[in-house]
Amino acid sequence: MEEIIVLLLGITYGLIIGIIPVVGATTGLVALYPFIGYFSHNPYLGVVFCVAVVAASTTGDTFSGILLGIPGANSAAATMVDGFPLALKGKAAYALSAAFTVSTSNGLLWGSLTFLLLPLYAKIILKFGIPELFAFALLAFASVGFVSSKYWFRSLIAIIIGILIGLVGIDVNASPRWTFGWDYLLDGVQLIPVVVGLFAVPELLDGLRKRMKTTAIKAKDFKNQTFEGIKAGYKHWRFSLLGGFIGSIIGILPGLGGAIADWLAYGQTVAMNPSETFGNGNIKGVIGCEGANNAQKASSFIPTVLFGIPGAPFAAVLISLFMYLNIEMGSIELANDTRFFNYLSFSFLVATFLTGIICIFLCRFIAKISVVPYKHYFPVLMALVIWASMQYTGGWEDFVILLIMCIIGIAAKQLKFSRPSLLIGFILAERIEKLSLQTFKLYNLSDLFRRPIFMVLIIFITLIIVTGLKNRNRLEYN
Amino acid sequence: MKNIFMILTSLMVLISCSKKFTFIVPQKPGGGTSIWATIVAEELEKKLGEKIIIRHIPGARDQIGFEKFHKTLRFDDYMIMVSHGGNAVSFLQENVIYDYADYDVIAIMHNNIIVSRDKNLNWQSNVLIYSLHSGTVPESLALALLIDGHNAPKNWKKRTILIKGMSQSENRLAFRRREVNITRENPAAHLKHVQGVEHAEIFFNHGLYNPLTGKFDKDPNFPDSFTMEELYKKKWGESSSGSLYNAYKMVKAWRDGIQKALWVNKGNPNRDRLRKAVTDMLNDPEARIRLQKKLGKYPWDIGENAVYYVKALYRLLNRDAMQTLVKFNREQLGLDSYYNEKRVQKKN
Repeated sequence: MEEIIVLLLGITYGLIIGIIPVVGATTGLVALYPFIGYFSHNPYLGVVFCVAVVAASTTGDTFSGILLGIPGANSAAATMVDGFPLALKGKAAYALSAAFTVSTSNGLLWGSLTFLLLPLYAKIILKFGIPELFAFALLAFASVGFVSSKYWFRSLIAIIIGILIGLVGIDVNASPRWTFGWDYLLDGVQLIPVVVGLFAVPELLDGLRKRMKTTAIKAKDFKNQTFEGIKAGYKHWRFSLLGGFIGSIIGILPGLGGAIADWLAYGQTVAMNPSETFGNGNIKGVIGCEGANNAQKASSFIPTVLFGIPGAPFAAVLISLFMYLNIEMGSIELANDTRFFNYLSFSFLVATFLTGIICIFLCRFIAKISVVPYKHYFPVLMALVIWASMQYTGGWEDFVILLIMCIIGIAAKQLKFSRPSLLIGFILAERIEKLSLQTFKLYNLSDLFRRPIFMVLIIFITLIIVTGLKNRNRLEYN
Repeated sequence: MKNIFMILTSLMVLISCSKKFTFIVPQKPGGGTSIWATIVAEELEKKLGEKIIIRHIPGARDQIGFEKFHKTLRFDDYMIMVSHGGNAVSFLQENVIYDYADYDVIAIMHNNIIVSRDKNLNWQSNVLIYSLHSGTVPESLALALLIDGHNAPKNWKKRTILIKGMSQSENRLAFRRREVNITRENPAAHLKHVQGVEHAEIFFNHGLYNPLTGKFDKDPNFPDSFTMEELYKKKWGESSSGSLYNAYKMVKAWRDGIQKALWVNKGNPNRDRLRKAVTDMLNDPEARIRLQKKLGKYPWDIGENAVYYVKALYRLLNRDAMQTLVKFNREQLGLDSYYNEKRVQKKN
């Protein structure tokens, strides 16, 4: 019973932060830091709550994309391209119900494949030695640097900046590194001010700047349009399934967020319908990218849970939140913890299903949240994320770090330096340093050539880099 | 004016009445010491009849929290420091300002560390590969003594590959994958993570420090496994002694002896009340079972027994052992380490 209540609370919170323009799962999870300790008596309830937040916010972010033309999160930006024009034509309920049908069914399908098989994947952990983990971390850099952004050179610089920030603290010989005599930095820069500074604050400020053109769902059209939307979702099942497939592949690749999956799925849908017009309210444009949305979130859990390498920015926050609950992602203890897998699967699948049902049938009422003036919830959200950043020591030092990270985050957004790249660089900095030292201490080159998984990963990384350098016509995902 | 004074006095009384006992944990929530503190607080507050708050002050590898306690918080009679073995190692080999001699001990929980090896490893001739960090310094000293005896560390660098930067869970995985051939765990973790591994067998354990004899007793939970001293004698035909052994003895006794401990400032008026509450908690069979289930069956010392234990640990501090420890850390392990003359002077 406790699990159900916590799940419903997670769905409610997730839906609200999903619906609020530009907030999304990452910021929503960051705001949970001050409260995560309440689950310390039963960490699995914390898992249920956080995963329900992820599932519900991923579905809920469609509201503002379609109704306001402002995505609830980066991942809903592609939905907006055809969804918002549909809403302006008075077909908001049609676009929303099609989007919810597709994202829910794909979330359930790819989520089932991911979570129900996850305990079997645990055996893979033992096949992944130190060199393979090193190559996997490099894969994260290659993916986020050469695939997720149009400006690969700026992404590389962002990764380097992230690594430099991530290496502040104590080195492997227990000596202070780049702490400038400031003891506060001996534990390194903390994740939360980095996430808040890079993502939450710039996006919240952006929300203030954007003008909102509001559309509404008319009561007389609601019933008909809702069923038309559900039918459209199943009629165009090929685009839906293709989107789900693309989303699940992108999710497995470490470090790539939902935006890229959605844009790739959208691009593929456009390419498969050369005779049709997109951008003016084509329902296939909504269906293609919504298929990718929840599938990507589900499969992001694979690198996150198995290797402790975040599948997306939201997963980086999730790893850190779970640490507070003494749940260490990528550990052998977790791989053998069937209870954890049960709670993970239960919360993601049930939350996806319930959110889908709630959104489809109550969308006329839920939509009202998205038209509440942004200025009303801006101060609350801002206070929450700043409070979350101050949880480390509660001193002025936390605030200084947050301020520096906000400046970096706003500058990176303005100058189009990939913020996910910077975050992944920061998160993996210490790990990549240690794994490289360990790899070359234990293995020589001929040993490494004899390791098939390592070699496959290296080939894959090379392909990603070559393709990334060749392909100059990518959409701007970030 | 009189009324204002009365109101202020009443307010102060109210504030002081609402004061609560607080466990200062120098780590983030979710860490081992934080979990230990939460479990102990839950049981202790029943005996104390008061709520215990857990306050986390993380940062700088526990230094921020410990320094805050040392400089200001300890002067508040309701503040209780929760320390762990790693803090004791830092106390011996790093430039930290806290000193246990400035506090009154409430209770300490002892522990032991079990070192395991790959069954296929011939430790007398093969290269030993293991995860190194400041917490595994006692194991490194033990291995150096076993490899080279009194001449240690003569062949140390040739006979070992030290893997730096591995977390405990990464080390467990690496041991299962046979990338490292030596691993170490506390007894509870050993049973959970190593005992079932097909290629693992116990190499040695450190034993339990006996303050009465100044020696390490056999761990009754592992009666069939060797202590380091027994293994040493078996290989070298004599008892271990000398500077390196003294350094080993000192650092392992400190780390495992005060694996978890509760401290208040010297002369804290709540000291005896707290000691009595811990005694009542451990004398309550139900509470004891609950604690053992969650924390493992480790021996505790409370009140005067704990004071005696800590005094015995201080007797192990001497210039030669501390300098040898720092030298070994720097030259053989490549770890940043600091010799603190004040420790020896203060002890004397």
